[in-house]
Amino acid sequence: MTDLVRQAQQGDQAAFQSLYREHVGRVYALCLRLTADAGEAEEFTQDAFVRAWERLATFRGESAFSSWLYRLTVNVVFLSRRAARRRLQRVFATDDPGTLERPGRDANPGLGVDLERAVAALPPGAREVFVLHDVEGYRHEEIAELTGIAVGTSKAQLFRARRLLRGMLES
Amino acid sequence: MTERDQDAEFRELLERAAQLPKSIEPPRDLWPEIEARIAGKARVRFRAWLLIPLAAAAALAVLLLGRRGPPRPGEAWEVTRVAGLPLVGTTPLGATGALKVGDWLQTDDSSRAVILVGDIGHVDVKPDTRIRLVRAQRTDHRLALERGEIYATVDAPPRLFFVDTPAGTVVDLGCAYTLAVDSSGDGTIHVSAGYVEFDWSGRRSIVPLGFRAETRRGFGPGTPYAEDASQALRHALATFDFAHGGGGAEAVRQALAAARPEDAVSLWHLLGRVDRVLRGEVYDRLASLVPPPAGVTRQGALQLDRAPLETYWNTIRRIAWRRSILKGIRDIDPRTGMAR
Repeated sequence: MTDLVRQAQQGDQAAFQSLYREHVGRVYALCLRLTADAGEAEEFTQDAFVRAWERLATFRGESAFSSWLYRLTVNVVFLSRRAARRRLQRVFATDDPGTLERPGRDANPGLGVDLERAVAALPPGAREVFVLHDVEGYRHEEIAELTGIAVGTSKAQLFRARRLLRGMLES
Repeated sequence: MTERDQDAEFRELLERAAQLPKSIEPPRDLWPEIEARIAGKARVRFRAWLLIPLAAAAALAVLLLGRRGPPRPGEAWEVTRVAGLPLVGTTPLGATGALKVGDWLQTDDSSRAVILVGDIGHVDVKPDTRIRLVRAQRTDHRLALERGEIYATVDAPPRLFFVDTPAGTVVDLGCAYTLAVDSSGDGTIHVSAGYVEFDWSGRRSIVPLGFRAETRRGFGPGTPYAEDASQALRHALATFDFAHGGGGAEAVRQALAAARPEDAVSLWHLLGRVDRVLRGEVYDRLASLVPPPAGVTRQGALQLDRAPLETYWNTIRRIAWRRSILKGIRDIDPRTGMAR
């Protein structure tokens, strides 16, 4: 366990900010690819770091902090998706001004290459499995656990994603 | 087809996927908002030995509750003693207890308690407060604050949590706020997150983050004003909102003279509270401070047409929100909400 993590566990916000600076790019990339939406990606990135701060005490150093953080990020994204209905209701009703300021998908500078665009255009289930398996390196068993789908479904979605991507990139 | 066959079939795609950048910087710095959210969320270090007395307390609680039977959800909320000896009805509150529908919770000058609002939030009950649980339903979590002070934090869709006061009802729109009521039934509300709506007999104030409103029994909610509003503006608004026997027009003109762009929330509220002649003056002053967005016309605003007023409101509250949330981080132009 690094000193920064230890200090953050003691409540040192400056240390936690350093951890944020170190990992925000990777967390944001993960959120962006899972959601294909720059606004949602920003929101989930913030949620992930807030959740990480709240749950730092449960990090025991049995894996790398980065692995723990990225897994937590995936959890945040999928838990939020399950609660999407409630989220939409709330955002609409409170009309959070922040939602008005989010850049649209076209404005996202992170989707500037063909493959990124093609991944973003995949159906959500296929995109999530592709990102987790082929980009992030999770195994199907882990994806099943994280997303709540069956292992077979994860494999099928991966195959579907790959075929769709190949078709999109060839055309 | 095996996974290995698949990998061969999609080799080129997998090679390209492997070359995707692992890291993408977000288009803006997200830390200030994260910092604001974790501020006050003091981290609690995990200490295994703490579980021993907690487990014992939990076991005792289960034993006691099992004996008398816990109140069913929908009938009671959990209340915890923080300091002193709060009373539930006439019974001193133990470490924790149940506040049933109809029960009064009362604190004296040295006692405090926390009420868990179902599973959507909590209410800190400050000293010298008397508060009652009115309803505990999934769609209507409702307390009545007779006097004293509470701090409420709710994490739920809007319009699920209400607090009745002698001057009207506070409607949660996803927020945190401090609400105080004195012995005469008058009070103040100060919003520290999100928005609060305060209703009384058809009169409505929407109080955003960083704003306050006075409330008066028999008058309802006053016009909201910014935390940093001038004394002259506050005085003029209070005179307009609550003074008996007229003087309204003069007070409104004093308020207009004292208003800054940062006070647009106050002027927007005045639009619907003054007569048509004054409304023109209010609109002109408001428009000079915060230019109306496209689609908002003077005529529409003077007729109190809903659509232009809401459009204008969305612009005004967005600016107010950015001003509050980015205070000390960015210099926000109060006329546009954009960083200067």
